[in-house]
Amino acid sequence: MGGRGMTWMLVAVLALFVLSNAIYVIKETERGVLLRFGEVVDPDLKPGLHIKIPFVNNVRKFEGRLLTVDFTAERFFTQEQKALIVDSYAKFRVANTEKFYTATNGEEARAIALLGQRINDGLRNEVAVRTIQEVVSGQRDELMSSLTESLSELALNEYGVEVVDVRVKQIDLPPDVSESVYQRMNAEREKEAREHRSLGQELAEGIRAAADREVTVIEANAYRDAELIRGEGDAQATAIYAGAFNRDREFYSFTRSLRAYQDSFQGSGDIMLLAPDSKFFRYLKDSSGGN
Amino acid sequence: MAWNEPGGGNNKPKDPWGGGEQGPPDLDEALKKLQQKLGGLFGGRGSGGGKPGRGRGGIPAGLVLVLALVAVVVWALMGLYQVDQQERAVVLRFGKYQQTVMPGLQWNPPLIDEVIKVNTTRVRAATFREIMLTQDENIVEVRMSVQYVIDDPTSFVLRVRDPESSLHNASQSALRHVVGDTSMNMVLTEGRARIGVEVTERLQRYINMYETGIRVVKVNIDESKPPTQVQAAFDDVIKAREDEERLKNEAQAYANGIVPESRGRAQRVIEEASAYREQVVAEAEGEAERFSRLLKEYAKSPEVTRERLYLDAVQRVFSNTNKVMVDVEGGNNIMYLPLDKMVEKSGSSMPASRGSRLDTSSIRDLTNAVTEQLRLDAAAANSRRGGR
Repeated sequence: MGGRGMTWMLVAVLALFVLSNAIYVIKETERGVLLRFGEVVDPDLKPGLHIKIPFVNNVRKFEGRLLTVDFTAERFFTQEQKALIVDSYAKFRVANTEKFYTATNGEEARAIALLGQRINDGLRNEVAVRTIQEVVSGQRDELMSSLTESLSELALNEYGVEVVDVRVKQIDLPPDVSESVYQRMNAEREKEAREHRSLGQELAEGIRAAADREVTVIEANAYRDAELIRGEGDAQATAIYAGAFNRDREFYSFTRSLRAYQDSFQGSGDIMLLAPDSKFFRYLKDSSGGN
Repeated sequence: MAWNEPGGGNNKPKDPWGGGEQGPPDLDEALKKLQQKLGGLFGGRGSGGGKPGRGRGGIPAGLVLVLALVAVVVWALMGLYQVDQQERAVVLRFGKYQQTVMPGLQWNPPLIDEVIKVNTTRVRAATFREIMLTQDENIVEVRMSVQYVIDDPTSFVLRVRDPESSLHNASQSALRHVVGDTSMNMVLTEGRARIGVEVTERLQRYINMYETGIRVVKVNIDESKPPTQVQAAFDDVIKAREDEERLKNEAQAYANGIVPESRGRAQRVIEEASAYREQVVAEAEGEAERFSRLLKEYAKSPEVTRERLYLDAVQRVFSNTNKVMVDVEGGNNIMYLPLDKMVEKSGSSMPASRGSRLDTSSIRDLTNAVTEQLRLDAAAANSRRGGR
């Protein structure tokens, strides 16, 4: 029974080996081709459990999900021969497994390298016919859609991949150019700042001048009004004086003169040189009044 | 070889290893053959129902059965798992997408099914800080955060390799695209909200195209500022704006200060003028009235009144002033008047005028001297005339 058991055991192991070689799984995230002695017999294996003839059939599996080609940032030249640093990425997936297998031997890295060259070339061409302005702002979408379009057919025919999207991430100026952009920005800010300050001064000066003018006008008006009022007073007073004094001009002159004398000689320092024969001194020398 | 067909079957999954009651007959046969062979090999019963084999020594059939049962139970227990409320589980059977499982206790045959759990409710966030060009070829620094959830776990797991880095790339592209379409001032000021909206829309479009299964909840432009190289200049503009305001305010303050002051002064000038008017009119009225009344009395006795008025006035004048009497008629007397001295002392060319600055004591001395002299003269004159 030992020999018999051993034989059975060997048979079982062999069977298991053959069986395991005959079963294969294609995952939902994978694509696969079935080969018979190296010839593609089923280019589009569905996900799930499959069986094949061991040693005759061979299965090659590829990534079935959307893949990314992420480029490193590179220096591109625009239409006006200005340099731009452009960083982009592309999304693609394996569409034609047979083509993909034959073109790249099913190696993803090779596909990425091939596609990368194409995209880089295409991008370079697209950038080269546009100005910086167009690349940066106006025509990103056009740039990318035209690139995607021109690439997709070629990629499908040659590499069996579908280019889903090509996108530019970063479009920047090279560092030395950035430096001069910063300088320009600084200069613009300086200009703006100066403008604000000058504008402030202008307005301030205006406000001050207006205030000064207002002051001058106010005070001049006040002077005019004051003079008017004074004149009015003087006129009224004059009228009153005239009305009263006209009643006896001679007597007015007399009293007014007397008052003037009194007002004129008030200081104790005044010295009068007098002739004694004035009317006032009539009795000073003679009690009977002289003549 | 034949049973791979049901294995690839669709909705109702069959365990190809289990006793397939619906399986094609050749599968049954194959299994039975295998079991027979195994039974022969181990000398015991197979786990499935087959022809009972005779245990010929070796391992007892009962033990094999128990072991097999334990193995089955363990295997079955391994298939139990729970899906949290926050999660969905994507189930793959032999690598093929089976279903997406809802929260709760679940069972799937282990080793056959693969279960990938994905949290679909947690809001994830990614933050970017980028320096980029604006439409007007200025450079700005923008910090953006993207909040997202995994909306479609199936796509997330199956359609894209590394969906989150795809989101990352797409975010950068969308942000730079939108900023590249916007002028610097808009980016730095009121345009931020709009940029957020546009980036959201654009980003969602991109990642939908990639079938990442991600839904963008919110894109926030956290910060947009000029790069450090020009920050100082930008700050200076802000300061300049402040300066502008300050200068205006200072000028306004000046104006607010001087205008009311001048109005006050104007008011004073006018008030003073009014006061003057009232004053002169009142004085005129007073004087006129005084004169009128005096005139009335004067009319009654003019001679006397006139004389009295005259004397009163002259007395008042003379009582205040220093007097020098010069008797011109007595011309033969030598009169000495130190006028030159007076002039010297006063330092003025008009010694007799008002406001001369002779000091009181010298004037008194002078006056005394003059008076003495006059008295002597007068006495001499009197004696000479012989008592008149």
